Amino acid sequence: MLNLNLKTTPFHERTSALCQPQNWRKWAGYFVVGSYEHVLDREYWAIRNSAALIDVTPLMKYIIKGKDAAALLHRVTTRNVHKMKVGQVAYTGWCDEEGKMIDDGTISRLEESTFRLTAAEPNLRWLTMNAVGMDVSITEVTDDVAALSFQGPNTRKVLNLVCEKPVDELKYFRLMTNKIHGVEVTISRTGYTGDLGYEIWMDNKDALKVWDALMEAGSDYGITPVGILAMDMARVEAGLFMLDVDYTSASHAWIESQKSSPFELGLDWTVALDKPGYFVGRRALEKEKREGSAWKMVGLAVDWVGMENIFKQVGLPPQIPGSAVRASLPVMVGNVQVGYASTSTWSPLLKTYIALAHLQKPYYEIGTDVRMEITVEHHRQHAPAKVVKLPFYEPEWKKK
Amino acid sequence: MATHYDNYHHGAGHSNGFLLLAYLPTKQKFLGLRTRFHHRQFRKIQIFGDNDSIDFPTICERDSSCSRHYFKDLKLRTHTGLTVDSCSENHSSPVQTDGNHLTLDAESIKRISEKDAACFPEFVRFMNKCASILDTAYATIMPRLPMNFGIKEGFGLMELGLELKLAGRKDMLNFIRALPMTAQELVEEYFESEIVKAAIASLGIHGFTLGPMGAGTGYTLIHNWMNRGGLAHVNVGKAGEITQALANAIKASGGEIRTEAEVASIKVESQIAKGVVLANGEEILANQILSSADPKHTFLKLVGAQDLPPEFVWHTQSIKMRGSVAKIHLQTNGSHGIPEGTLVVAPSIKYLEKAYDATKYGEISEKPYLEVTTSGNAVSIHFQFAPYNLKLGTWNVEREKVEKLAIDTLAEYFPNLKSSIVNRKSITPQDLESIYGLTEGDLNHGQLMLDQFLFMRPIPGWSNHKTPIDNLYLCGSGVHGGGGVSGVSGRNVVRVL
Repeated sequence: MLNLNLKTTPFHERTSALCQPQNWRKWAGYFVVGSYEHVLDREYWAIRNSAALIDVTPLMKYIIKGKDAAALLHRVTTRNVHKMKVGQVAYTGWCDEEGKMIDDGTISRLEESTFRLTAAEPNLRWLTMNAVGMDVSITEVTDDVAALSFQGPNTRKVLNLVCEKPVDELKYFRLMTNKIHGVEVTISRTGYTGDLGYEIWMDNKDALKVWDALMEAGSDYGITPVGILAMDMARVEAGLFMLDVDYTSASHAWIESQKSSPFELGLDWTVALDKPGYFVGRRALEKEKREGSAWKMVGLAVDWVGMENIFKQVGLPPQIPGSAVRASLPVMVGNVQVGYASTSTWSPLLKTYIALAHLQKPYYEIGTDVRMEITVEHHRQHAPAKVVKLPFYEPEWKKK
Repeated sequence: MATHYDNYHHGAGHSNGFLLLAYLPTKQKFLGLRTRFHHRQFRKIQIFGDNDSIDFPTICERDSSCSRHYFKDLKLRTHTGLTVDSCSENHSSPVQTDGNHLTLDAESIKRISEKDAACFPEFVRFMNKCASILDTAYATIMPRLPMNFGIKEGFGLMELGLELKLAGRKDMLNFIRALPMTAQELVEEYFESEIVKAAIASLGIHGFTLGPMGAGTGYTLIHNWMNRGGLAHVNVGKAGEITQALANAIKASGGEIRTEAEVASIKVESQIAKGVVLANGEEILANQILSSADPKHTFLKLVGAQDLPPEFVWHTQSIKMRGSVAKIHLQTNGSHGIPEGTLVVAPSIKYLEKAYDATKYGEISEKPYLEVTTSGNAVSIHFQFAPYNLKLGTWNVEREKVEKLAIDTLAEYFPNLKSSIVNRKSITPQDLESIYGLTEGDLNHGQLMLDQFLFMRPIPGWSNHKTPIDNLYLCGSGVHGGGGVSGVSGRNVVRVL
């Protein structure tokens, strides 16, 4: 009989015991914890102030191996993969031939001819389609490799307590092999929160050992299991977008206007138009670079006083959402809609209502005054907001 | 130092390739290369060696299916004095074991069935009308659907629409209806006798890996009717003669032809074709590269998947080739007893369908469909079905089996054949690939099926001869206008250029 149940991760034995509100979320065919507590505050602040332990096993993972492994990723993604050194990690998007984003993730060069690619959605077919005539093997290891995201300013100290080798020298977007209580792991200095952080990759069988080791060592450093809802707030502060929330994959968009290019999502820095040879979408991206983008993803900072005035009209103080809102909110200039916010959240750290917004040219220029839709007592209103540079928050220790 | 040309044409086949060269402006410097042919196909073909040459091209039929447009356009008569027979004079002859062979004309059919004889002229009229519409469709450069198309493509489509309208409502609808029909259904609307139905339906499977009960063989029947100008080939001279005429026309325009110069790869830089590299390492640069090699060969072998968009590669990989034709050439002492001209071994529709059934399972037809062309001592047999991909065995071993099956089958009708054979040579689907560069031995550079014609040939979105590589164009049978060697795609690509 076909099993239609969602899978649980190798950390489920621990996470399920800790998940007080039974707040479970679906992620790529897995159950993961939405939040471990009824409110998100403690989990959110663990990311920003101490050490957050997040189960990110459902990330799609592929091992790409062989003589042409670098050539395949060089062709598929927008980065110059041939330039990557062993031990380097690169964030990248990848596009269709029209230069529209299919997905995004990280490339880790594990060995000279071995890479790990992470993705939000299944990409095996796309990778295979691009590997015609190449000497390369592509293996999906999503269900074999467990992953923890360990985020927050105390994480380095905790890792140094449990790792065989110190992680002090591990630079931003680099990886190392290490051992945690005798268990072989790969640690990359990466994350989805915009804070100091690491991602730890291990065999499924070792997942609980690693979890227990970190929880034990981290107890003096405020280690906190964190669900994906708090991570969602942090990633908006960090200006990081999410597939199927902030953009639609070109591979399953219904209409052209649902698609986005890397330039439109602010990924200009990842598009290596100067790299040699063909890569998928090159011509379209070159054209867009020459002609400029019709849209841009930017940050919106909603004006608190303006919002206060709107709520005041009905006799209420401003109401703020308790978690990130994954809903499309129209953005206006005058009476004309010039874009939409795809994720908005209250930033507990910045004390600002912020949003990731997609605005049309020329309204995406920094400093532009716009208005974003809010709902006040069941009525649509528009709160004044300003276009700001992303990220909203970037602590100095993130890359140090 | 590499030589530089305005136009370079790779895989210059006798019709599509040479025709396009002949159409090129005389002010341009252009070069045609025959890449894989070791035979001098545009002269007398020497199948059995210098002392025993017979007057046959190796893989094409005796008479060419070259479109009649080009005789006018290119003034080929001035180069060779070739002439075109009228369609109504072409006959093929289904053979019968009792020796009471039939010629497919109304008079002869009357011996079998008065009703069929009465229907035959109307069938010929309808098929000629269908062929005329299809001819116009092939001469129309297709838009790159689903992309938007402009006025240029729009005009072409309007002309096609007009041709359909001029056909009259009844014929227009019947034409559209006939395309997805089976050849069996189409012929059964006109004829009752099995031998007539099968002989005509066999034209719908000739050269294709399809049975007469397969959807879309109505279309392939019309296609072959159009290319031949009827049931048998229009006599416009032998294939070698046409090629010679075209070669003369090319040379007269200042073109250059090189033979036995195998292309190893097409040189591409930043998705722009710059030239070709020959197997001997020689580099030839050109402003435009025109390939009449099949699309799979052109893109996957000569260009390479690494320089092409993934979906384009995927579609190219998915082109259905499926060659299943073998050729058996016999040199005889002349006592074979087979009449001159074209005859077919196609006793019934079921016989043809069963012959096709074998190929679905990777087997050679034990009771094959044959089309036999005889000229003096020479007998050339077109054998279906002999699948490129054999379930068991290899073509090195199975070659003899095909030869034996062909000879045994034909000898049932002409008992003197076996004792008359002096020499024989066969060309298997494997040979068609290894010697002639035809992927999977597909004579049509891609099967003619309803999902591989018009704007879907060679692949959806790329039917107008252009490719994802700038300055590289397709002009062979594998693009719209093909299959076969009518030259339409060669003529069309010049208009695109």
